Amino acid sequence: MELFRLEHKKLWRKKSTRICVMLCFLYCVVIGSFLVYQWFSFGSRKDNMGGRSFDGYENIRNCQAYFSKYGELTDETLQEWVRDYQSAHEAEDEQTMENSGWQIVNSMLKGLYPELEEEDMLGIMLMSCYVEPDKLTEVYERREKAVETFLDISGQTGAEREYLLQMDDKVREPFSWKWVEGWSAVLGDQVSGLGTVMALFLAIVLSSLFAGEWHDNTSALILTTKNGWRKLALAKILTGISFALELFVLLAAGMIVSQLVFLGTEGWDMPIQTIKMIAIAPMNMLQGEIYEYAFTMLGAVGFAGVVMLLSACCKNHVLALLLSLAVAYGPMTVKDFAPYWLEKAFDLLPLVGSGADIFRTNTFHLLGRYIWSPYLLIWVPVLLGVLCLPPAVRGWARRMRG
Amino acid sequence: MEVSIDRLTKHYGRKIAVDCVSTVLKPGMYGLLGENGAGKTTLMRMLCAILEPTSGEVLLDGREVSSMGADYRDLLGYLPQDFGYYPNDTAEEFLLYMAALKGIPRNRAKKRVKELLETVGLQDVAAKKIKSFSGGMKQRVGIAQALLNHPKILVLDEPTAGLDPKERVRFRNLISDYAKDRIVILSTYIVSDIEAIADEVLLMRKGKLVSQGTVPELTKRAEGKVWELAVSPAEAARWQKKEAVANLRHEGDQVILRILSDDRPAEEAVCCETTLEDLYLQSFRE
Repeated sequence: MELFRLEHKKLWRKKSTRICVMLCFLYCVVIGSFLVYQWFSFGSRKDNMGGRSFDGYENIRNCQAYFSKYGELTDETLQEWVRDYQSAHEAEDEQTMENSGWQIVNSMLKGLYPELEEEDMLGIMLMSCYVEPDKLTEVYERREKAVETFLDISGQTGAEREYLLQMDDKVREPFSWKWVEGWSAVLGDQVSGLGTVMALFLAIVLSSLFAGEWHDNTSALILTTKNGWRKLALAKILTGISFALELFVLLAAGMIVSQLVFLGTEGWDMPIQTIKMIAIAPMNMLQGEIYEYAFTMLGAVGFAGVVMLLSACCKNHVLALLLSLAVAYGPMTVKDFAPYWLEKAFDLLPLVGSGADIFRTNTFHLLGRYIWSPYLLIWVPVLLGVLCLPPAVRGWARRMRG
Repeated sequence: MEVSIDRLTKHYGRKIAVDCVSTVLKPGMYGLLGENGAGKTTLMRMLCAILEPTSGEVLLDGREVSSMGADYRDLLGYLPQDFGYYPNDTAEEFLLYMAALKGIPRNRAKKRVKELLETVGLQDVAAKKIKSFSGGMKQRVGIAQALLNHPKILVLDEPTAGLDPKERVRFRNLISDYAKDRIVILSTYIVSDIEAIADEVLLMRKGKLVSQGTVPELTKRAEGKVWELAVSPAEAARWQKKEAVANLRHEGDQVILRILSDDRPAEEAVCCETTLEDLYLQSFRE
């Protein structure tokens, strides 16, 4: 335990560790969260060029207040929303239009009522501006049909289709319907993108954990001590895992505090379908957020395991760093060009997949059973990381003994 | 306590680094002398069980050290020739870390570290980072870490490298005291260090142990083979080509040559007292 404490202290004493943590916090919490809420995404529009004011806090409250009257998503409330929007459009009331959360509702209309979309209006006017409100009926039947159509287009038939539709049956209706755009930013971008950033900084900090001993030329000293390489390897592994968790907690805490300050807790019980209508997961926003944070945390631990294996097997910490970055960013870069099966396999690598898969209908076909992808994506990366640990210890021992 | 080295051999491919070395080490100070590449470091690394021998064994009181594992390492203190450290650590932090590696409980470690920092004269810079230290100060940190666990077997590979004369004297005194009931083996290229403190000297050449004995025993072997001869500067160059000259100093118009030779090199040559350095030079004379 003492060795772990000192090893952990040693890691945090490094200037590179502190700089990495600071930059990561700055990027994810200050820029990616605080400034996104207050300025970049939720500040009120200053002009038509997309410029925004530094007033996100008030603007978000205005949006939440505007939306509070709808309560639940029904044919009536959807029609009412469209009427309100069209009145504001006619009156050129920019403020009301901005507060209406039109981006997500407009894409909902396009997805559920494609036949009402006028081709000659594409790119000229939003569907919300011209669609006849009275025609917006049977919203949940339409949703069901949209899910089935999407599964057909995706080639998901037979048992797989049944499996996904059974899951969809558990989605409770009617949907609680409040201002969604804040939650969309949280679940669609912020939390799901956290792993991509963490991978960079975890690789920088942890790639030297074992390989750095070669750089510092300390193997002879370590090998002649009572605790020796074995206990030190254990202390290093615990240090690597605890660092990954500490970095995660620091970032997650910062982001959650920022979220609570700007968005509050309103809308936590909305189903994630209010962000993406054809999602089939029976989850509300809070459950979705917990999943995405858990996905990132376990992915970070798994990735720490992979980086430690590479660090233990390479004598050069720069090489260990490059390999670690390649393990994360290589698959991320090529997966869009890879065959579907390979893309899915890449998603199982730590921090390569995305927590935002809760919005998708991806499945894995294993041992004759279909498994919804998020069930595997959350556990496989951390298991891969854990499996990397014994060879990391063995590899380090072999290299230490020359 | 007794360390037996039995026909210890190490090959690196076709190169023989240590060739069938056998000796017995009992509590006391052993000086390991040899030219570069003689196999001193390899022998020390095998003695510390870092390096596996090609053949032969090292036994501690009859037990093979490689099979003793942590029990053996608990008795060991080692200062490698190329002493590695963590540059961002302070001297105190580094020693506490090494103490944890050696399994010393935290409270005892803190006391011991403080004590050792005073012993090696680094108490005033204990909170400074090692990377800011001079070579001699780093070496003293290395010596302190080797002593942390009160080792029964202390192996020091060129411990005086980088130390100034005052520090060397301090180190010699410290180690002399230490070797009373422990086995201390040190290698150095500074012959006077060994001459001053070693109970026994082990002379290595091309991987072989060529001589072993106390300083008087060894120097006795070179008795009658060291000569001093006063010559003119012009003649000095000629003598240097002809004979093995261990030393050369100017005295007025003359040059005093210290010549190693089995026979009297000249009528005027005077036989003089032998030192360990003479023996060393004689042993490694090609």
